[in-house]
Amino acid sequence: MNKEIAKEIEERFSQKGYNIPISEIESRLDKLLNEFKVPQEEARRSVVNYFLKEYNIPRGDFFVQQGETPTVKVSDITSDGNWINISAKVVQLWDDTHESIDQAGLMGDETGTIKFNKWAKAELPALEEGKTYLFKNVVTDSYQERLQINFNRTSQIEEITEDIEVNTQQAEAPTVKVSEITTEGKWINISVKVAQLWDSTHESIDQAGLMGDETGTIKFIKWAKAELPSLVEGKSYLLKNVVTDSFQERFQINFNRTSLIEEITEDIEIGTLTVEFSGAMVDIQSGSGLIKRCPECNRALIKGVCGEHGKVEGSYDLRIKAVMDDGVCVQDSLLNREISEQLTGITLDEAKQMATEALDQSVVLEMFKEKLLGKYYLVKGPKLDRSILVEDISLLPPLELDQIDTIIAQMEV
Amino acid sequence: MAGQYTREVAYRIFAQEFRDSNLSFKDSNDQYSPQYLLTPTGAKVNRMLIVGTLTEKEDIGNEAEYWRARVVDPTGAFLIYAGQYQPEAAQVMANIEAPQYLAVVGKPSTFQTEDGTILTSVRPESIHIVDAQTRDRWVVETTQRTLERVKDLNSDNPDAVRAKEHYNTDSSVYRQMALAALESLNTE
Repeated sequence: MNKEIAKEIEERFSQKGYNIPISEIESRLDKLLNEFKVPQEEARRSVVNYFLKEYNIPRGDFFVQQGETPTVKVSDITSDGNWINISAKVVQLWDDTHESIDQAGLMGDETGTIKFNKWAKAELPALEEGKTYLFKNVVTDSYQERLQINFNRTSQIEEITEDIEVNTQQAEAPTVKVSEITTEGKWINISVKVAQLWDSTHESIDQAGLMGDETGTIKFIKWAKAELPSLVEGKSYLLKNVVTDSFQERFQINFNRTSLIEEITEDIEIGTLTVEFSGAMVDIQSGSGLIKRCPECNRALIKGVCGEHGKVEGSYDLRIKAVMDDGVCVQDSLLNREISEQLTGITLDEAKQMATEALDQSVVLEMFKEKLLGKYYLVKGPKLDRSILVEDISLLPPLELDQIDTIIAQMEV
Repeated sequence: MAGQYTREVAYRIFAQEFRDSNLSFKDSNDQYSPQYLLTPTGAKVNRMLIVGTLTEKEDIGNEAEYWRARVVDPTGAFLIYAGQYQPEAAQVMANIEAPQYLAVVGKPSTFQTEDGTILTSVRPESIHIVDAQTRDRWVVETTQRTLERVKDLNSDNPDAVRAKEHYNTDSSVYRQMALAALESLNTE
């Protein structure tokens, strides 16, 4: 192996008219590779530079004259830091992410698509979506492990009439599991099931909630401007080109305009770390009991109004947002309809009837409070942000006399 | 979004320790900043959970109902006051008869008498009827929490330091109180 590299180097030097004894090259290479454990490419580079200096060879003589900037296709772009010319069509323009960026988006040719960045200080003409241009002297770059093209002040843009058929088959982002998401800013593909859709927190957010696979769950945010189809709770999807992010020290997944959502038939089972908490139920928060949900987005309605879809004819559901407290910390716990029915012994139908008879939905919450508050429970379930999604809840059993003796013995130590 | 709001923990305090408490303060001058009561074992209480026996109740209001109740644990009694600003709790009060096991979640409150004595009482957020087993759990739990605080009195926890400074706390008193409360479960 070393001999081959040495020979290669020797040949390149001799082609340029410099004869270097191969033994000198070999011994130098050997020292780097074996004695100093330098990786092969680094060793090769180091040897070449050493002899260039040693024999006083101008670097320009040795390395191929750069000459014309090569004209390439998108698929030819495989490394960063290269100056290229390229003909491509602007597929998408994205909203500015930063004031230093004049325009950014996606361009492509028949071999694929690539992100581009046009710096504001490059002072280049504005690009239009759907038009084709010849870009001269642009630079390949990589950002968050993806290749992109940057335009700068030396770049030139010429609109051309030729229409390019863009191949939107993108370079695949890696496919990962939820538990593998450990850094922000990564483009990924992931198959998940939507565990929960949350009430809207902001108009710029189309949908937000929780999704997961067998390795865990993660929060997601689908921006309204991404204009993607709606996700449905309980369904599984293959998500392509979503980006990992972190917010308040938790990872999340963001959807953007380049993201793709494909519903899949496989029912993904969500696995999670289950936690336990035992304590007294000290409060049940408003929005519990008999509630109505928006038929479009499943959000809980507030006074018959959905935060997203306005006044809608909601469908009834039961839930309990319980506050558990053990005197040391407070634990929010979320009980869905099934668990709420089990715990209270009141079914959704019975709850509806109670509300109808009383002409008041809040009687259900009142009854839940009366039945549950002040008592001690053990709850189990996956923990999401501040809440436990309760899968199992049981009243703590009465203390036995010998249990009390044991506790006394422990305490007196 | 809820932001960084965190709900105050409901402390477990025995009646005797609560009665001995008299240091009430706020962390800042802001009118919305929460009011705390520091107890002799260093619990900085804005909310508490009491489970005990309702032994007396009386409507001491003039026009509007204003309920005063005694809720008793193994170490003594808590005074609970519920009026028009605690409508849920007041309604429960109106409809129950002593004796009864109650769980009370509430805020500590202090009142200074003319001779300068500070009395503590509880403004309930909610009152619910519970059973004997819940009450036993509470006694066990309150013993545990009290002993944890007693142990913590020797640490440099600022609440513990302040409690010792203010009350000159004799930790053995509260330790014995908690253990006696626990032992009372055996003889009932």
